[in-house]
Amino acid sequence: MSLAIIGIAEVPTKRDPERTRWDMLTEVCIGAIRDAGIDKDDIEAVISVNPMAQAQMALDMALGRVPEVLGLKGCKDICVLNAGGTSTTNCLRLAKYFIDNKQAKFVLVPHTTVQSDIPTEELINFFATAPLDPQWEYPYGVTFNGAMGLITNRYMHDTGATPEQMASVTVSLRGWGALDPNSIFYGKPVTLEDVLESRMISTPLHAKECNFLADGAGAMVVTSHEIAQEMGKPAAYELGHGVRFTGATPVLRDDPYFIKAYRESSQDALEQANMSIDDMDLRQIYGAYPFTQCSALEGYGVCELGEAAALWADGRCGPGGDLPCTTMGDATGRGHTGSGVSMAFYLDTVRQLRGEAGERQVPNCNHALITTSGGSVMNAATTIFGSAPR
Amino acid sequence: MSEYRKPLPQIEPYSQAFWDGTRNNKLLVQTCTDCEARIFFPRKQCPECWSSNLDWIEASGKAEIYAFSVTYEGVEAAFKEDLPIVLAWVDLPEGIRMQTNIIDCDPDSVAIGQQVEVVFRSVTDEITLPYFKPVA
Repeated sequence: MSLAIIGIAEVPTKRDPERTRWDMLTEVCIGAIRDAGIDKDDIEAVISVNPMAQAQMALDMALGRVPEVLGLKGCKDICVLNAGGTSTTNCLRLAKYFIDNKQAKFVLVPHTTVQSDIPTEELINFFATAPLDPQWEYPYGVTFNGAMGLITNRYMHDTGATPEQMASVTVSLRGWGALDPNSIFYGKPVTLEDVLESRMISTPLHAKECNFLADGAGAMVVTSHEIAQEMGKPAAYELGHGVRFTGATPVLRDDPYFIKAYRESSQDALEQANMSIDDMDLRQIYGAYPFTQCSALEGYGVCELGEAAALWADGRCGPGGDLPCTTMGDATGRGHTGSGVSMAFYLDTVRQLRGEAGERQVPNCNHALITTSGGSVMNAATTIFGSAPR
Repeated sequence: MSEYRKPLPQIEPYSQAFWDGTRNNKLLVQTCTDCEARIFFPRKQCPECWSSNLDWIEASGKAEIYAFSVTYEGVEAAFKEDLPIVLAWVDLPEGIRMQTNIIDCDPDSVAIGQQVEVVFRSVTDEITLPYFKPVA
């Protein structure tokens, strides 16, 4: 059972409706296949990340347009997978099945999303109805920000985390984003005051602690550990994987800020990798809202419940810190590209393990843990990657 | 009554009794007569034991705030006239937690642990939404 990511490509996150979904998709697919150093006809399956709120593009992907447009003559099978923000994770899991069963040596996993051509009102509606309950939540004016505000409020109540400590998470995430040419916030760091003085959206979340919807695309080429090693190229080797479901509807969850899901999914993944959380050089947390950057560290066992916000406030998780987390910037530090956020998380993890992360490079980054989530964090899917197989 | 433009709950056959209840100013909690589970949201079968023997009890209308968030912006046009909106998760002593709004209050005074009570607001002929307000 093995999976290695050997080729990646991404376009910078922007709001630019002039860049069409297919423009970006073509660019990243060709880029990832070239980066992998293989021929286009070596791709034997295309497993696409479902583009959220873009019905036509989702159908195009589901019904086989990607290999046709790219002329992938060796393609035997296609699929589009939708689990919101964990769609990319599911694509990797199905790719592993194909590779393990010798159905494919090389699988292409692409994503593309344009949100800048969708009216704001429609996007608010989509993000309020898709991951929230139309009968029991939506009639009360719950938005995605509102639901996450509710959870953040309880998290801060239970842990004693202060607004300044919570704002420091966004300062660090934007700090990473400011150093990342693929972030919409490249060259645009923020201060604690900038965050705390930004408009209040849904208490305790200020505007800069919420998501900025944007456009983006990315793609990966994956293969087996054995083939990646034979090719002798720097790659990200999957070493372990675990998932926990938390529930679809925020108000009904027993684990409101996902401590148990982060703990158990990471324990499963680390156990498979025969490693401990202390062996990780980098922790990449996709929660889209700042409290997850804290509750995940508490769930992983990096620190006790109630201690993580202080780690962020002390600058230990941001640029230059001794406990680097989420160099990808998360959605708040990079721009939210729908289901593309998790794609970008995997791509950034590959860059870190290949030593290609530029100013954000974590020194000696050989082992990284990455957690993705879908819906309103209906799940936590944790994967361990290494720069070499074990 | 002016036309109600905000989204209405999408009622399912097994939640009809809940909405019939609110229309009559009663807050009903679905219960399982086999395993005694208190069920929210209402379902066709008990999520604990899959029994179809489900019934309803009338809640006292009292509750305690578990979490809240005051929304100032970012809502659809139909909700804008209501801003700021106090979103809340409330725990009922009958054993369920539900999403609601806290109304008839100063949003800055809302707190976790605060005692609240149900208020029914008829929004259409069919639908009455259960909101909560601080206990005087």
